[in-house]
Amino acid sequence: MIRVQDLSKSFADLKRGQVKALDSVSFEVKPGEIFGLLGPNGAGKTTCLRILSTVLRPTGGLAEVAGYNVMDNPAQVRANIGFMSGNTGIYDRMTGREMVEYFGRLYGIPENELQPRIDDIIEMLQMHDVAEMLGSKMSTGMKQKVSIARTIVHDPPVLIFDEPTSGLDVLVARAVLKTIESLKDQGKSIIFSTHIMREVEKLCDRIAVIYKGEILASGTVNELEEKYNEPDMEELFFELIRLREEEIDSPNNTGQNG
Amino acid sequence: MNWRNIRLIFMREVRDLLRDRRTLFMVFMMPLLLYPALGIGMAQMMLSYREKVRTVVVLGSEYLPPPPLLAEGAFAGRWFVTAKEVSQLEVVTPETVQQLEEQLREAADDARPQSQQDELTRQRELIDNARQLQVLHQKLQNLEQQYLEAASSGRDSDEANNSIDDAEAASPADTDRKEALAELETEIKQTREKLSDLFAASNVQVLILVPEGFAESIERTTEQIAERNVTEEGNEVSVPSLTVLHNNADQKSQIAYSRVKNVLALWEADILKQRLTAARLPESITTPVNPQSVDLASEQELSANVWGTIIPALLIIMAITGAFYPAVDLAAGEKERGTMETLLICPASRTEIVWGKFFTVLTFSCATAILNLVSLGFTTKYMVSLGGSTGGSIGRLGVITPPTFEAICWILILLIPIAALFSALSFALATFARSSKEGQYYLTPMLAVSTGLTVFCVSPAVEITPFYSIMPVIGVGLLLKGLLSSPDHSTMLIYVIPVLVTSTGYSILALWWAIDQFGREDVLFREAERFNLGLWIRQLLREKQATPTFAEAGLCFLLIMFLQFATMKFMQSLLGPMDLIADPTLMLKVLLTQQVALIAAPALIMGIMLARSFQETFKLYLPQVPYLLIGLTLPFFLHPIAIELSQSLDWFFPPLPEAVQETLAAMQNDSISPWLLLLTFAVAPAICEELAFRGFILSGLAHHGRLGIAIVFSSLAFGLMHMIPQQVFNASLMGLVLGLLCLRSNSLLPCMLLHFINNGIEVLRGRFYQDIQGAIPRENGFVTFTETEYHYHLPALMICVIVAAAMIYWLYKHPASPPRSRSEQLHA
Repeated sequence: MIRVQDLSKSFADLKRGQVKALDSVSFEVKPGEIFGLLGPNGAGKTTCLRILSTVLRPTGGLAEVAGYNVMDNPAQVRANIGFMSGNTGIYDRMTGREMVEYFGRLYGIPENELQPRIDDIIEMLQMHDVAEMLGSKMSTGMKQKVSIARTIVHDPPVLIFDEPTSGLDVLVARAVLKTIESLKDQGKSIIFSTHIMREVEKLCDRIAVIYKGEILASGTVNELEEKYNEPDMEELFFELIRLREEEIDSPNNTGQNG
Repeated sequence: MNWRNIRLIFMREVRDLLRDRRTLFMVFMMPLLLYPALGIGMAQMMLSYREKVRTVVVLGSEYLPPPPLLAEGAFAGRWFVTAKEVSQLEVVTPETVQQLEEQLREAADDARPQSQQDELTRQRELIDNARQLQVLHQKLQNLEQQYLEAASSGRDSDEANNSIDDAEAASPADTDRKEALAELETEIKQTREKLSDLFAASNVQVLILVPEGFAESIERTTEQIAERNVTEEGNEVSVPSLTVLHNNADQKSQIAYSRVKNVLALWEADILKQRLTAARLPESITTPVNPQSVDLASEQELSANVWGTIIPALLIIMAITGAFYPAVDLAAGEKERGTMETLLICPASRTEIVWGKFFTVLTFSCATAILNLVSLGFTTKYMVSLGGSTGGSIGRLGVITPPTFEAICWILILLIPIAALFSALSFALATFARSSKEGQYYLTPMLAVSTGLTVFCVSPAVEITPFYSIMPVIGVGLLLKGLLSSPDHSTMLIYVIPVLVTSTGYSILALWWAIDQFGREDVLFREAERFNLGLWIRQLLREKQATPTFAEAGLCFLLIMFLQFATMKFMQSLLGPMDLIADPTLMLKVLLTQQVALIAAPALIMGIMLARSFQETFKLYLPQVPYLLIGLTLPFFLHPIAIELSQSLDWFFPPLPEAVQETLAAMQNDSISPWLLLLTFAVAPAICEELAFRGFILSGLAHHGRLGIAIVFSSLAFGLMHMIPQQVFNASLMGLVLGLLCLRSNSLLPCMLLHFINNGIEVLRGRFYQDIQGAIPRENGFVTFTETEYHYHLPALMICVIVAAAMIYWLYKHPASPPRSRSEQLHA
């Protein structure tokens, strides 16, 4: 459903010159699977997911969503994807329902199917209170609910959640994770990016640890723990990063990365 | 493009803006409140203005001849056009003061009203001041008289001296007299200043001084005329005259004086009439010609003239204001509120998003403009009806009829292209901005520039010409002005198509730019960086790239333009006093210096400082032979086409400024060496302009690999540098060819060659036109010519076009092999 191969992205930075935000990243996500993308801030998670949502263009490699290439068929990719991140805010001067309706129409859902679909989603996400509320009046949790509703309104086969629980209180975060889990049960391919280890352990079938634009390790949680002989996910994560830093600093390897 | 998506986005954005209080206020409330508020303010100002009474003091009113000028402390009512104006001028004379004193004396001591007491003091002061003024004025007159006498007696003695002995030095008496004159002069100056100061402090707006025996003098003259007792010289009686003191720099005094002048003119006319009657002469004697002016302007046309000035200006300004805020909200605002990415991941393409948002901005721009016009129209109409009924100042404007249905149609038709241009421009600029605040900074210059253009459009003498009709904003403004105010629309109609086509073109260009901006990752995801000028410059110098960047190229162009502009005054002062005939080469030297110092030097310095590879930036490579051949031969084929083009488009451009005509004339000056001419007009431009425009600027513009845009922009820059419309046009076209040649050959040399030959032909053609024309037989198949014009025959022209087109096509198809490999080959 999602196929990423040797994906690279570099951009010009005023201070640092050409910066490689992604360097030959490869992974695959199958239907009914939650793939966790794990990494600290600035590791390249958001860049990678933005390429998948066709907002950014890759400078090298291949990315396919539901069989469509992000470069050749961006419109088809967008139609088959539900994308939610910290940067996909909701409109202040629209109610929750109008917001979902608007995007439903942009996705081309016929009007007679759209209204029942929205009613279902409102029921499912328990968002009756925000349906008629303007975005500017909503709390962070309410906004997040509307965002999720917007993400799934067209029932896409692929879903991408970029740090969906950041800034949420425990109760709402739990509800969000439950929703994602139920979406997995519907057979969706889901990418879930976070830097919270607990969520990864609970939710993800497979994970990849990404740091400075490169994937350091990938596999199921158990595989990784066995491979590196480290039962604690958090310790494993720091260990991987420490090893990588050493590799960069050692002089005989500098040529490889420069 | 999916229109459904565009419509969806459009509908959402409109609803969104309508829910925004700020936009609603700007677009709807402002126009609806602004004009009525302005109207009320104006009405109040006019009311308070009317109440002001100006003070006129008359000294020596007892000497005034009949008919009576004054009546009861004011000018007599018959000297005013309307009776109401009488009360606007208060007249104070010694008699009025006396009357007041008597009134007060008659009244019982305790019944004296304080206000009357105050009034008396005030009037006494006025009279005192007036008396002082009179004395001072008398002194001034005496001094001036003395000065005149002294000066004229001096002149007589001078003449006498000269006739006796020219060489004799000034006598001691002479010096004394000059000193006395100078003394008198300073005294006159001082007295005049004193008089002026005193007048300003006197509270008197106009002072009329009637000389003693004025009435008798008038009467005497009247009698003399009646007895036919006056001859030109024979009238020895010096006629004393009224003196009216006023201060035109003081508004109060100015207004009072203009009224007093009218009063006196009517009064004088009456005295004249009496005189004529006494002399048994017809009244018509004073107006032997009596031209009758007949104003054919109908009320409709008068109002059309008013509308023609107001509407274009208002339309342009309001179209910008209306586009400004929605554009910022829809582009920068969306970024700021973090909903930009939400929109980008929806299935609508970026082009569709831009169109949807553009239509929204356009709608609001049009709505703002129309609402403003309607509100202004109704307010004006109401104010006029108000003014008309009370006879106020607005009433004098006449009845303003609303614009005709046809005019309204034109307004609506022309509103759309102008609103579209501003909408697309604002949207592109606002997309570039990170936040609403930043967006407003970017849009303010646009507002300022457009305001300047608007002022130009509504200036009284400016009319539409073919050239203006294709300029952005100006074309629409002038066409609308013409359509609304000129009585004969048909002369304007020929401009409708060019104006609509070009302004639509400009709008599409701006929109294309907006779409381009919207598609760029570095624009959409611009991150906030703290800007540090020092750090930035250090970065720029340290991390410079092989060739300059797009922005650096733009900067170079602006620098060149700025230098040209800044030295314009200096050049003029240098050229101004010079005598072209005495030293015709001076202008050439100045032009030569200009080329080297203001065009080549900035580009070279920027090239050294900002680019790593000087060679690559200025394309200092040996070209391949075919490109060199093209540089050598193409100008010969382009030249006839260029001549034909510029001659056939001569009607289109405004006439050349005088300075340019002089320069062109210098090219035909026989006394100047042709080598110097070639150096100034061919060699220097070929080297300097190519280094700047095909070297630094084109390299920079082509930095991102968009060669087409680079060529177009560099040729536009090249054209604009030439300032004069004709040359801007020619040079821009030439710039396209030069740009293509430069990028394809990857060498500056063929361009310099082409540029040199092209200019060289022009120089030699001007310098040796007699020889050339003598050498060509009158009857030939290629060209006919007069002294200044050449007309190539169609076959010759066709050959040129075909050959030139073939060469350009070949260039288009054949890029040179990359420079690096070739330079390596050369080294090997």
